[in-house]
Amino acid sequence: MRQLLALGMVLISLGLGSELSYGQRDPNARCLLECHGKSDFKREVAPGQFKSLYVNYEQFKTSVHKDKLCIDCHTDVTAIPHQRRPEQIHCLQCHYQGNVVGAPVSERPEKYKESVHGNAFARGDPNAPDCKHCHTVHSVRAPTDPLSPVYRANIPKTCGSCHIEIYTEYLESVHGQALRNNILESAVCSDCHREHDLFPPDDPRSSLHPQNVANTCARCHADVKIMERRGVPVKQVEAFKRSFHGIAIEFGILRSANCISCHDYHNILSSRDPRSPIYPLNLATTCGQCHPNAGQNVARGRFHIIPSDPDAGIVFWVYEFYRWLTMVMTAGFIFYIVLDLYGRWRHARRGAHG
Amino acid sequence: MREGGLMADSANEERLVHELQRELERELDRPLDDAELQRIKELVRAQLEAELRAKQRRSEREKEQEEYFVRFSLNVCLQHLVLAIGVILLTITGLPIKFHDSAWAEFIFRHIWSLEINRIIHRVGASLLMFVTVWHIGWLMTREGRRELRELLPRVKDLWDFIANVKFMLGLSSERPKFGRYSYSEKFEYWALVWGTAVMVPSGLMLWFHRIALAYLPKYIFDVALQAHSGEALLAILALITWHMYHAHLNPEVFPMNMTIFTGKISKKRMIEEHPLEYEQIMRERAEAERP
Repeated sequence: MRQLLALGMVLISLGLGSELSYGQRDPNARCLLECHGKSDFKREVAPGQFKSLYVNYEQFKTSVHKDKLCIDCHTDVTAIPHQRRPEQIHCLQCHYQGNVVGAPVSERPEKYKESVHGNAFARGDPNAPDCKHCHTVHSVRAPTDPLSPVYRANIPKTCGSCHIEIYTEYLESVHGQALRNNILESAVCSDCHREHDLFPPDDPRSSLHPQNVANTCARCHADVKIMERRGVPVKQVEAFKRSFHGIAIEFGILRSANCISCHDYHNILSSRDPRSPIYPLNLATTCGQCHPNAGQNVARGRFHIIPSDPDAGIVFWVYEFYRWLTMVMTAGFIFYIVLDLYGRWRHARRGAHG
Repeated sequence: MREGGLMADSANEERLVHELQRELERELDRPLDDAELQRIKELVRAQLEAELRAKQRRSEREKEQEEYFVRFSLNVCLQHLVLAIGVILLTITGLPIKFHDSAWAEFIFRHIWSLEINRIIHRVGASLLMFVTVWHIGWLMTREGRRELRELLPRVKDLWDFIANVKFMLGLSSERPKFGRYSYSEKFEYWALVWGTAVMVPSGLMLWFHRIALAYLPKYIFDVALQAHSGEALLAILALITWHMYHAHLNPEVFPMNMTIFTGKISKKRMIEEHPLEYEQIMRERAEAERP
């Protein structure tokens, strides 16, 4: 009878185990069995208002933290059931630089604290995102995992969950369209804004500070491989840096145009798209933002030219003309001077000898 | 005068020898022998001759400075001065823009003057250049200007002069070509300046007043103007630091600096050497003027 009872318990527990996705031997089972493993486990935070305290353990076991214990993070839980509400935990308690346990970490999580999001969070803005808003709580997955909210293809949606208007604008842009066509090397939010060290554009540390915009675009647009695959010209950023606009920006005249002044930012469109600010018929208006007299004339000529490049057309020929003229003339001058000195030396010597 | 000087010197010599002889005899308390006397004579003569040579050199130099011709009027000297200041300002502010990638340009813009200041200085230099251009064109209308322009016009003789000068320098001919008021190298530099100004001023004005010009000119004209401005600038600067630097500074004849363009004066010696035809003409004109 006793044996039968024992067998029955084993069978029940086995059955429960197969149903509950965690084994009796799982050290986390103690948290889940009675409380957090039940989908209707909740707490009344205000009269009639409940907060779910359920943890989807199946998802947890597919996360990067699958081998961790609940109490690895919830360190203030020392007895089960716990008597007090556990303290809010923060990812930085493990993910800080120099952690000898070896939580994978770069300087990035630290940078979050200085970012616009981190600052807003520190001010107590209820809408400010913390780590969990992008990385989730219990089902944190690696950025390379297609199911992760910080996987490239999912980033716009993740950011868009708060920045809805920008998200819709972005989806219309060349970058958004490419991403929707599964071209993962297309730019997503974090490529331009960066993820943790996200600063407002007037902050010199920002990737989108006027002096940094060209370099931010250059991360892809100066990459020959990516641009060749996508059939996009690759010298635009270099040409910009050589232009008056580029030189002015470089040496501190921030009101000068940078990439986004003409191309716009979230809704960047091809120059063939009539909605684009760089569509030839729209150029007068686009240039007119700074140069009030600009008319249709600004569309007559190539953009982003490098004089030494044959693609520059007539400018290339002017460049070549002056290159050769300068070389020939300077060589001639030097040759003449040497000849003149030689002649003077010869005659001086002959004079000295009578 | 010189004869008299020499005679006076020989009298002087005897007097000096006598004095030295008396002094030495008194000191040694014995008469000097012939060899000693001869030695004193030689020393005194050598000393006097050296003094005479130095005096002659001095007077020659003075004479050279005394006998000069007025090569440039004050007007021309001032034109050159304004032009030089303008070009120096344009060069020191233009080069760092052209070579903005270089470390020295970066150093200038970050530590010496900002790009905003650079732009202002460049436009001050440009204003000086344009001012002197207008001034020069006005001056060319005057009697003096018309005469100078006639002298500056290129002639076939300049080509022959150039060939003859190259031959002379190579030792293929023993005679230097005779230049007039302006040699081919001076004419070349003048017309190079005219050409350079003709390129730099319109292209620079277009870029300066791009807000106005944008209403009338297509973009590619600006690109061409910018490239021409940049290319011509470098050519002009290289011409200045080779051709001009050599002819006005480093040339052994004038080293370290030919002051003629600042003082307007040229010595007779250099006039005869460098502008013999002009010298001959001036002498002829003077002789004619003196004739009743």
